[in-house]
Amino acid sequence: MGDTGVNTLKITLKSIGIDIKLLPDSWASWGTKFSIWPAHLVTACCGVEFAHTSAPGYDAERWGFLPIFGPRQTNAIVIEGTVTRKMAKVVKVAYEQMPYPKFVIAMGSCAMEGGVFWNSYHVVRVSDIVPVDAWVMGCPPTPEAVIRAIRMVQDKIEGKEVKPNIRPSQFDLTKLKPDKPQRPPNPPHRIEFELIKDINVCKPMPNVKWELGQKLVDGFKSTLGNGVKNAVVRNVNDLCITLDSAGRLREAVESAFKLGFDHVKSINVIDLINAGVFRMEYVLGSYMNKELMPVLLTIYFDVPRDEAKVPSIIDLYPGADYQERELYDLFGVWFEGNPWMGSNFLLDPDTPVKYPLRKEYRIPSLKGVVVER
Amino acid sequence: MVMSEREVSINVPVELPTEVKSLFLPIPKNMVEEVYRSDEYLVLIGPAHPGSGHMRIILRLKGDYIVEAIPDPGYVHRAVEKLAETRLFVHNIPLVERPTIAESSIMDHGYVRAIEELGQLDVPPRAQYLRVIMDELSRIGDHLYDTGILAVFLGHSTGYMWGFGLREFIVDALARMTGARITVSFVIPSGVRWDVHPDTLRYIYNMTFFIEKKIDELGTIFTKNPVTVSRMKSVGVLTKDECIRFGAVGPFLRACGVEYDNRKVRPYAVYDQLEWEVPVADEGDAYSRFLVRVEEIRQSLNIIRQAVKNIPEGPVIGSKLMARVPPKERERVAKDIRNYLFRLLIGLTLPEGEATTLTEAARGTLLYSLVSDGKSNVPYRLRMITPSWYNLRPFMESLKGYRLMDLPAIYGSWGYFPPEADR
Repeated sequence: MGDTGVNTLKITLKSIGIDIKLLPDSWASWGTKFSIWPAHLVTACCGVEFAHTSAPGYDAERWGFLPIFGPRQTNAIVIEGTVTRKMAKVVKVAYEQMPYPKFVIAMGSCAMEGGVFWNSYHVVRVSDIVPVDAWVMGCPPTPEAVIRAIRMVQDKIEGKEVKPNIRPSQFDLTKLKPDKPQRPPNPPHRIEFELIKDINVCKPMPNVKWELGQKLVDGFKSTLGNGVKNAVVRNVNDLCITLDSAGRLREAVESAFKLGFDHVKSINVIDLINAGVFRMEYVLGSYMNKELMPVLLTIYFDVPRDEAKVPSIIDLYPGADYQERELYDLFGVWFEGNPWMGSNFLLDPDTPVKYPLRKEYRIPSLKGVVVER
Repeated sequence: MVMSEREVSINVPVELPTEVKSLFLPIPKNMVEEVYRSDEYLVLIGPAHPGSGHMRIILRLKGDYIVEAIPDPGYVHRAVEKLAETRLFVHNIPLVERPTIAESSIMDHGYVRAIEELGQLDVPPRAQYLRVIMDELSRIGDHLYDTGILAVFLGHSTGYMWGFGLREFIVDALARMTGARITVSFVIPSGVRWDVHPDTLRYIYNMTFFIEKKIDELGTIFTKNPVTVSRMKSVGVLTKDECIRFGAVGPFLRACGVEYDNRKVRPYAVYDQLEWEVPVADEGDAYSRFLVRVEEIRQSLNIIRQAVKNIPEGPVIGSKLMARVPPKERERVAKDIRNYLFRLLIGLTLPEGEATTLTEAARGTLLYSLVSDGKSNVPYRLRMITPSWYNLRPFMESLKGYRLMDLPAIYGSWGYFPPEADR
């Protein structure tokens, strides 16, 4: 890997040990220069600007740059943005399938150092996977910047000196040297999760008058009996019910289903590490009942962190299936009855951390970074 | 000719190929074996395919009919929810728009509304109108993006050129308003970053007529093209009941005949003061999912024109935030928060509690649940559910029973955007 350029445009017959040149060097480099068709491998959101590069506004085909679907017929590959752990394997496979000579353009800040996602557990750097010929900066880079990178790769094919074709103005930094060493300001982050015992998520707004909501709350209180710890109208069109245990969930959800709440908007876990519980949150809504359409019904209950088991609701609401799988990946909450439990859905099997959204797993934050000057 | 059918059993020992182990198949091993021994195929679509972003679909085929479709998402999972817990409330604005940068303004709007609801911040009317204009521009841009990708799926590269060529005007309008082509980060708690010049608004107003004319021309070239119609009509059908059960959202739910739009049902910003309609279709097939979005472009153009006409004069930063600006500077900062943005918002600590906001993004409901502990100036937990994540399940259900060659049309019709779904 890494020996790119015109010298590779030849066939080596290993059995007899001779190199056969296909074309004169100058012809070959000229032809390669204007036919660097990249493999279309959208790794992340920079693909939006990459698509604009080939669209009528910029039309990169003027430089012989036209995205092609399969990597086996291409000379270049554009890494469009963040590469996650799961995607890294695919990038590697795609790169190895490409014939020589091959070139890599890494697009966007995420491909360089991680960009906005620098401290994510699921993001890797492109330079660790494949050798990169040209970097494009920006988040996302403009199509002009991508075209500049194409020009850089073309210079490399011709054997010219590869340099950015924007020349920044020269400035002598030594004159700016301060007398005293400067210290960066303290990061303003105030993260006090250690002190948090409980969060009152069900706080009703003052002076809320909503008759239908009060009627619904009273209905839930009477059907569930002592299973309801707390039931309030949080705001207009916003109900909040706290159950006393996970065992009451099925009962509550079934009665909500009968009332007309026909879909799940959200399943959420709030990790209260100091209280030793996961606070589960189910948000239900309705599409078919005109009266209930704007209403959000939120159901809360606590489960112990070390033995987080919750009954699954996918038989009533099949739409909640993938959210349950996701929360098993991220928090390790076991949804009893969901057949997918026990295997990864979103995360890569090689992710270094299990259940990454739990509070005990800390990712590096700006608070802990010390900048030396 | 009549052929007599007769069952023949051939007892050939079959062994699983060794590659099955190295493929990282996220499905039970016994299913692979079962498929391999029966008269079926297991076909892997992706993760590298010419669509928008990456996702693997594992198809179980009988003949060339899809019996079962298992998704393998997560190729663009970048942990937005975890990263949000290490950043200031205001620093999260650029983070939450990264999953769907084609409609970054809507993503910001939903998140910022959660902050405003929890912190009881006020938003002046001019800022609300500017937000609506930007949201609708993003919505048009996103639908044009999906049109382009759908055309790529169908092998119709002229449609791609038209979609992205028209998007260039939207991107240009956003650049004139905010200075950024795609990732705008323009919506901030209690307002927008700066006031937009009347000339820019006039440009946007004139542009809407141009786009409308071009959408009509696109209709003759791509939307009503007989090839497009025959590829997409009566394909990937979901009934109204199935759509609700599997949790489809947005234009895809409306294509099944459910009249639900968060802008009408739970109005935010100034959507209740403008006149517009919710396009609904009854068929629930791939073509109607596409047509509903084309009709939505027209409605969005209508909303933009009304918003530009009715936009009131006044400040673009709310009074609660302005109270903390020195009186000498107030007149300037009310029109442009530059130099004061971080001074005002860096120490923003929200009261303890939770706020849930529903926003209508281009592809459907966008839900944010913001939990604050009352002491930190970072979120305790941010739950973000994007429309593509809701739509993944109905997308998989709509594949079943159709042929492998219909997959590109169905995939394109759902506008599935993996960075958005995986977050």
